[in-house]
Amino acid sequence: MNFLLAFLHSIRWQDIVDILLNGYILFRLYVLFRGTNVIRVLVGIALLWIFQRIAVTLGLIVTSWAMQGIIAGAALIIVIVFRNEIRNVLQAKNLKALLWDFPHKAVRTPIDSIVEGVYELARTRTGALIVIPGKDDLDEIIQGGVTWGGLISKEMLLSIFYNGNPVHDGAAILENNRVTRVGAILPLSLRDDLPQYYGTRHRAAVGMAEQSDALVIVVSEERGQVVAAKGQTFVPIYDNLSLKKTLAAHVGAGGANNQGIQRERRELAVAAAICFLCMAGVWFSIAKGMETLTSVEVPLEYSNRDSGMQIISTSVNTVRLHLSGSSALIGSLRADQVKAKLDLRTAVNGMNLFSLSRDNITLPPGVRLNRIEPPEVQVALDVPTRKELPVQVDWVGALPDGLVLESVSVTPTRLVAIGTKGLLEQISTLYTEKVKLDRLTASGQVDVSVVTKTGVRLAGDSPAQGKVTVRYTIRRRDA
Amino acid sequence: MKRRYVGCWIVLIFLFAGFSKAFAADDDFAAQAKPFRLVRAAMCESIEGYEPKHVAAAFSINVGRISCYSAFAGVAQTTYVQHKWFRRDELVTAKRLTLKPPSWATYSSVQLRDDDKGPWRVEILNAEDELIQTMRFSVVD
Repeated sequence: MNFLLAFLHSIRWQDIVDILLNGYILFRLYVLFRGTNVIRVLVGIALLWIFQRIAVTLGLIVTSWAMQGIIAGAALIIVIVFRNEIRNVLQAKNLKALLWDFPHKAVRTPIDSIVEGVYELARTRTGALIVIPGKDDLDEIIQGGVTWGGLISKEMLLSIFYNGNPVHDGAAILENNRVTRVGAILPLSLRDDLPQYYGTRHRAAVGMAEQSDALVIVVSEERGQVVAAKGQTFVPIYDNLSLKKTLAAHVGAGGANNQGIQRERRELAVAAAICFLCMAGVWFSIAKGMETLTSVEVPLEYSNRDSGMQIISTSVNTVRLHLSGSSALIGSLRADQVKAKLDLRTAVNGMNLFSLSRDNITLPPGVRLNRIEPPEVQVALDVPTRKELPVQVDWVGALPDGLVLESVSVTPTRLVAIGTKGLLEQISTLYTEKVKLDRLTASGQVDVSVVTKTGVRLAGDSPAQGKVTVRYTIRRRDA
Repeated sequence: MKRRYVGCWIVLIFLFAGFSKAFAADDDFAAQAKPFRLVRAAMCESIEGYEPKHVAAAFSINVGRISCYSAFAGVAQTTYVQHKWFRRDELVTAKRLTLKPPSWATYSSVQLRDDDKGPWRVEILNAEDELIQTMRFSVVD
């Protein structure tokens, strides 16, 4: 649960925009290219890309290279092979159509051709059995037949059911604008309430309607009557307008409340959901999938200290931050993007203990803080005071043989140091920087700086602040 | 006449005795206010014949031993002083040294080790822990 909350907390608003924007672009591509072969090829490329990512994850170097090459080639092939479709989409449509319009899918079933064909068959008393599938898969219901594939037209229907045609006895299956199968054998109904004059063709139509959501149209050979069967209904059609209405209602080209529009809306909604889910998956695969851990050491900045007090000591001056995030974000992490700050507003004179938390750390968006080392910091504060202290030279090295440093005087002999009371109590002398004896051969003088401890400074603002003059006397060593 | 001279001598003797006592009392007061004074202090490599030898402000670590010599005058009664040896601001040793009237010279020493290089000081304090003088020097290569 905590991981989920931490994960949600790590998602930036830019990430949401990223997913939504690209998801919408993907969805618009689907809307624009649906119904064309481009969309199928795009789906194929998407599958290839998924395989390529899996290959990368599994460390299959050659496979991932090959996949990458195929994807690049396929993208090129799409542009070349489907240039006409792409041109039609991009040229024929206006900006609205490209960006947010939802063109309704054209009803591809040529209803008029079917109506004309059916009534010509009825007029000529040519028996016919036509199946127009709904959503159900009919492969398990229909048996036999010959795969056809011809475009629907009045003439095509007449020729299929022409008495001399070898396949005229079976049913013709019409899907979209094509006759997909002819001479198909339909299941017969076992109902006993059918009129006596209905033959096998009618019984097959009723059987098909009972077992699926298909619309079945029967043309009687004896009477030239047209009957439409759907579900449990079996109604005679007496005019071409009724047939057209029945057909339109079935294929979804009717009024505003017909099922076709609802089905199309559902399809678009599902497509939109899939697009956004896919893009979210892609985003997580790229941005979050390659989660990287790192640790950085940053200086701890102390702020809002009471101006009347000074920091005497701190348990740490730097903290180590254990961070995680996508490799891209971690890789581009700059030192100035990560800061650790401790607010001393509530600190009091003496020793203070602070717990470090996420609030003390500034991180770029998308980078998560896992741990702070150390989790607590001790800060000692004190009020600054002044103290006059003698200055002593810190000699180092050795005089040349035979020489002795006889006496030393420092001017000024004393300097005023400013620091916290606790610090100054520990100091009784100010020492100069290290002064080398090695090069001294005769008495003289030298100006040197006074070195102070951390937290202690010398009073005064002059440029010569902290400088003293050292006069020394060198003589030959006594025997 | 002879008696008169004798009387005068007696008066003069009493007066002298009175003045002498008065002056003696003043000397005691002075002795109590200013018990003794440091007449000489020096850092040296050794003491020979109650005198500091090889006085310097910087000593080689190879010397091995250094001493702080201090000589006092006006010591009214037996008392003591302290020599406190500091390396930087860290007290290394404190030595209590006896002073005897009327003048006294005394010293303390420390043995040097390899990590004793750096600035040193010796604080000379009286019995009341009042600082009389600070001797500053360095131990070098």
